[in-house]
Amino acid sequence: MELYVNNVSKQFKDKRAVDHVTLNITPGVWGLLGANGAGKTTLMRMIAGIMKPTSGRIEYDGIPIDRLKDEYRDIFGYLPQEFGFYPEFTVKNYLEYVSALKGLTAKESRRRISDLLEQLTLTNVCNKKIAKLSGGMKRRVGIAQALLNDPEVLILDEPTSGLDPAERVRFRNLLSEFARDHIVLISTHIVPDVEYIATRNAVMKDGRLISTGTTEELVKLVDGKVWSAMIPTKYLPEYEQKLRIVNLRNEGDDQVSIRYLSERPRTEDSVPAVPRLEDLYLWLFPQDTLEREG
Amino acid sequence: MRILKLELKRILTTRTTWILLGIALILSVCMAYIPTTFYASEYTDENGNQVRLSGLKAFQYQKSQKAGLEGEVTPKKVRDALEAYQNCLNEYGVKDTYDLPEGVYGERIAPYTSLIHGLKEAFADPKTGMAPSLMEIDLEKAEDFYSKCDERIVTLMEAEQRDHPAAQEKAVSMYHKVEKPFTFYLAGSDSNRMDYQLLLSFMILLFCTVIAAPVFSSEYQTGADDILRCTKHGRGRLGMLKIISAMCICGTAFALCSAVYIIISNCLFGWEAVKTSIQMIFSAMNLADINMGQLQTATALAGLLCVLASVSLTLFLSSRTKNMVMSIAVSLLFCFLPVIIYVAMPNDLGTWLNCIIPTGGLGMQSSFLYAMADFEFLNVGDFALWTPDAYLFFEAVAIPLLIGLTIHSYSTHKIK
Repeated sequence: MELYVNNVSKQFKDKRAVDHVTLNITPGVWGLLGANGAGKTTLMRMIAGIMKPTSGRIEYDGIPIDRLKDEYRDIFGYLPQEFGFYPEFTVKNYLEYVSALKGLTAKESRRRISDLLEQLTLTNVCNKKIAKLSGGMKRRVGIAQALLNDPEVLILDEPTSGLDPAERVRFRNLLSEFARDHIVLISTHIVPDVEYIATRNAVMKDGRLISTGTTEELVKLVDGKVWSAMIPTKYLPEYEQKLRIVNLRNEGDDQVSIRYLSERPRTEDSVPAVPRLEDLYLWLFPQDTLEREG
Repeated sequence: MRILKLELKRILTTRTTWILLGIALILSVCMAYIPTTFYASEYTDENGNQVRLSGLKAFQYQKSQKAGLEGEVTPKKVRDALEAYQNCLNEYGVKDTYDLPEGVYGERIAPYTSLIHGLKEAFADPKTGMAPSLMEIDLEKAEDFYSKCDERIVTLMEAEQRDHPAAQEKAVSMYHKVEKPFTFYLAGSDSNRMDYQLLLSFMILLFCTVIAAPVFSSEYQTGADDILRCTKHGRGRLGMLKIISAMCICGTAFALCSAVYIIISNCLFGWEAVKTSIQMIFSAMNLADINMGQLQTATALAGLLCVLASVSLTLFLSSRTKNMVMSIAVSLLFCFLPVIIYVAMPNDLGTWLNCIIPTGGLGMQSSFLYAMADFEFLNVGDFALWTPDAYLFFEAVAIPLLIGLTIHSYSTHKIK
């Protein structure tokens, strides 16, 4: 089972959204990281077969997906970034509709829907119209539809946006279990979601694939570039100007603990910190905001 | 079948759909009733009181006045009607009915108007086409009404289709097949009933357009299509099923509303009126050998074909448009296009265009119904196609063509 993105590019009128990306995706959870406009969604849409690459091709087990047609779609599950649904449908009706389109028999469909409703804690709202659900619930309905046919290849574009922390944990566990013998590609801004479950990650910037590897391999790229230090609260604005602070926490006694990215220590009492995937993300995409705690 | 069932359920549970279908059904009942309100009569009763009637009561009164005149329009009945007309005007010493004293027209002329309305056409000047006044028609020749009609159709078609002998020949041949004597019933000669059937059909066409226009475009717009497109049956098959369900819903709605209209209308006016020859509704020279009941059915069936062709066009536009509002707007524009063409191009090109565009059959000015009452042909060399046949032909061709294009367009829809 192998999904091969072979030198794929996508050129829009005045922008190259994806630039010669080559990626061999094997079973397990793959995290696709990148800032807004990095080309993640375009790449995913091409993998889903709903957007045509300008050049290059995508192959599943050595066969171009264009040639596989419905054979590929039969083993495929997709949740787009914008989950378009039918407002008039209830959750159950919608899942029945999608399962029929996925070729499930009525019996299979009933069983699978029931399982997914339970796994995604949607049983209580199964007869509610999708339009009346909260953002997080809608997202879970989107995840459920993608999983209906137990797909060999599952592509999820920003699946955790709108989910609360408990839902995210449940979702991560569900995916970890699912990905044992399936290909799962997740694009997200919420780095911790993939940090814990991704077997491999791919990082995109300006349409290009700049790095791939396991979380451990990738964080090595920022090894020695993550520091923590205590500073007086009154100097915080000054430090915020000159340092790339990725995290800060009030410690009391007018002291603030900061975590920052830098090639070298920038305060006297700075100590090296253990790098995380999020540090790499913020190192590569410095425009993203820092997280504040406390 | 399961996908079709679910797709039908999806469209039918859309609020807009059932509201529009509900309105269409209510309109069918109301519009069948409206023509009854156009009847008004006035007469003096046995006590010398002026009695005014309206609606169905007026209709029943007028029907009772014409009791002996309904049925077969024999040459003798035509002659007697003309005699009654001429005697009345001579008695009052006037040349026109406008000059008659109040109430006289209603009591002495109105009962006969339906029988003598064709005389002017039949006795029109063969060269100029000018119709004589009824007072100028020789009473003794009135009984030659049908032979005059057969003569007149030749000169009429020479004028209508001057440069197209094939059309003239075809029209004359058609007219000679028309069953004569004609049959007349008061309610059957009421063209308002046909006008309202057409108006209802046009309104249902608008509703069907609004129902069908978002079928593909709304999914492109909301992104729902991205998910469906990635499923096993989510392309050609889903496209086909979406088309079938939209066609089923629109076709059933149209057929149901037309049936409701026809049944209610005929129940209100009496079913015997369906035997009325269409020559007693529009023109004595009408080419079709059918009665009012057949015209009602033909209008409904042609309307159904037009709705299906128009829905096919709407679905094609929907598959090509990424925005729901745009697909509705463009589709509605096509519904009104026949009127625009009729006004802007009152020539052969306009006739051709109106026959070709799928919505042409239910245009408010140039519809299948009005084509049945007209003498227009599409001429290509020595070949002449009567416009009602042309509407049916082009609509029948448009349906599979547009469905094929829609499936192709939907299946291959990709952001380039």
